[in-house]
Amino acid sequence: MAVAEKKKIQPQWWRKSLIATFGGLLLSYGLVGIFAWFGPGGIDANAKVQFNMWMITPIWLTILSFSFMFSTWRSALVYLGGANLIVFSSFIGLKWLL
Amino acid sequence: MVVMRVRSDILRTYQNIHTWTGILSGLLLFIGFYAGSLTMFQQQIDQWATPPAQHLPMVEHDQMQLLVDKVLAEHPNAANAMTLHLDGSKSPITWYEQGEPRELSLNDVLWHATLDDSNQLVAEQIPANALSAMIDYLHRSAGILGELGHDHVGVYLLGIASVLYFIALISGVIFLLPTLVKSFFALRTKKGANRFWLDSHNLVGIGSLPFHLMIAFTVVVFAFHDFFYGGLKVLIYGDQPMFPRLAPSEIAYQLDDMPSIETILDEALSYDASYQPVQIDLQGLNGQRPLVGVQMASETAMMRGPITDYIMLNPYTFDIYGSSFRTNEDGLWERMVATFFAMHFGSFGGDLGRWLYFFMGLAGAFLFYSGNLLWLEKRRNKTQQQQSSAVTIMAKLTVGVSLGSIAGVVLCLAATKWLVPLSLNINHAYMWLYYTSFLVGIAFAFGFRPIVAAVHLQRIIAVLCLAIPLTSLVGWVMPQLGPWPSIDAASLGVDFTSLIFAALFWWGATKTQARGNNGEPNSIWAR
Repeated sequence: MAVAEKKKIQPQWWRKSLIATFGGLLLSYGLVGIFAWFGPGGIDANAKVQFNMWMITPIWLTILSFSFMFSTWRSALVYLGGANLIVFSSFIGLKWLL
Repeated sequence: MVVMRVRSDILRTYQNIHTWTGILSGLLLFIGFYAGSLTMFQQQIDQWATPPAQHLPMVEHDQMQLLVDKVLAEHPNAANAMTLHLDGSKSPITWYEQGEPRELSLNDVLWHATLDDSNQLVAEQIPANALSAMIDYLHRSAGILGELGHDHVGVYLLGIASVLYFIALISGVIFLLPTLVKSFFALRTKKGANRFWLDSHNLVGIGSLPFHLMIAFTVVVFAFHDFFYGGLKVLIYGDQPMFPRLAPSEIAYQLDDMPSIETILDEALSYDASYQPVQIDLQGLNGQRPLVGVQMASETAMMRGPITDYIMLNPYTFDIYGSSFRTNEDGLWERMVATFFAMHFGSFGGDLGRWLYFFMGLAGAFLFYSGNLLWLEKRRNKTQQQQSSAVTIMAKLTVGVSLGSIAGVVLCLAATKWLVPLSLNINHAYMWLYYTSFLVGIAFAFGFRPIVAAVHLQRIIAVLCLAIPLTSLVGWVMPQLGPWPSIDAASLGVDFTSLIFAALFWWGATKTQARGNNGEPNSIWAR
């Protein structure tokens, strides 16, 4: 009973929105960053920066929209924070390696 | 039947999200959408609003060079920035005496030039009409005044509204999933007005979902691109230059050395000959950063601009500064980005694509209007006539803002052919007409019951719509009064479309009235 209750989504609108807005934005920068440096064309392909800038928004808004599925703000923080940690350490690791 | 199971707490969560994001962004987006639909035909509206005397005749193709030379000889200032219109939609050459293109400025004066029968230069100063620029400004800012940074406050507000709009789209789909199959194609007209509004809201939302997702995300990019580039600089690019610039040339170029217009066009077309050149912009022809932009249209490509793709070159050396249609390796990413723009502007598939976007934009405006009506219907007190102030205020705002804004635009159109012949600044008149109608519309909605305002505002809009083609008719019958007739296809199209909308708004008023008289007595729409 208690377990079932715990799993239900808690509203926590403000905290979840804030975490998803900033955590999601940072995460999309990280993903775009990996694409920018190590994706097709590399970092200095002509005008690729425009495409990179365009890709931030759809990724960000998708993450933001689905973040309300997290049952609590704590799990939103843990998952988005964890994802950011993985993505940005990959980014930094790749830049260091390559 | 296939039924998608979604946990009930997820459904409830996303229903709440849909409600709040929708109600917060709906009215701003309504203005953005219906005005955006009109911008699909900006060129046609411009043509309709330009009296024949202000549209100087096109020159023969092989005389363009002669005209350019004569303009540059007699008006050396034009070498700083001038535009060649190759498709005859405007005077053959124009340049700004004061003001800048692509900004809503009300005091611009534009030089127009052509050649007469004996190849002598004809150049006239004509105040620029900002009608279509004003509609575009409404589209981008919802008419909210004020500047922040280097853009309108309204542009940023619409950017924020579009974030909410994107979330509203996703959440709407999620909480519709379990009943999607059952309710998608159902348009239950017999089950009462509310069912009908709900079904049509869902039908439009799901039916044009890809369009809406594209619009939502592109608006966010348009509003906040500076901010996103800033973030890229700090987090991703670091010392790597984001926009490597060609160093300004050591040489100060001189007009005498410039290749002919024909040579420049050939150079542009050498990248893709399937395009039609529409317009050539020349800038800084004497100096170290000369620039020529060739705007070219294609019926089949996804174009970067509302009408055209572009290529920007140095007119003396043909070094390329940028282009949106080269498919070679250098042009790849600009081509990709051009498709995002095309999906916002509807600049693919020629006029058919434009009409499709026109209707989808209007359907979008309907989506927000009907969304507000559904919110009102759900929250109102069903057992008594007295409603909470939240419901009443929202009902009044929905009617006043939406219909007041439309009435303002239609009034500007209806007044155009009367005001142009007068010696006043028509662009100032437009601003007064629009904002006055908008505020009167809202005042009307707050002064009377929503139903009364809704019926009368729709009737006023219908009459104003009818006045648009009637004015053109006056131009035929009694041109001495000022208005001029519509003779070209584009202008006739504007008149005819207005006539259709006159009928639609009148019909809408009649339906609204019937609901007030015969609908549920406790509804906010009851008389």
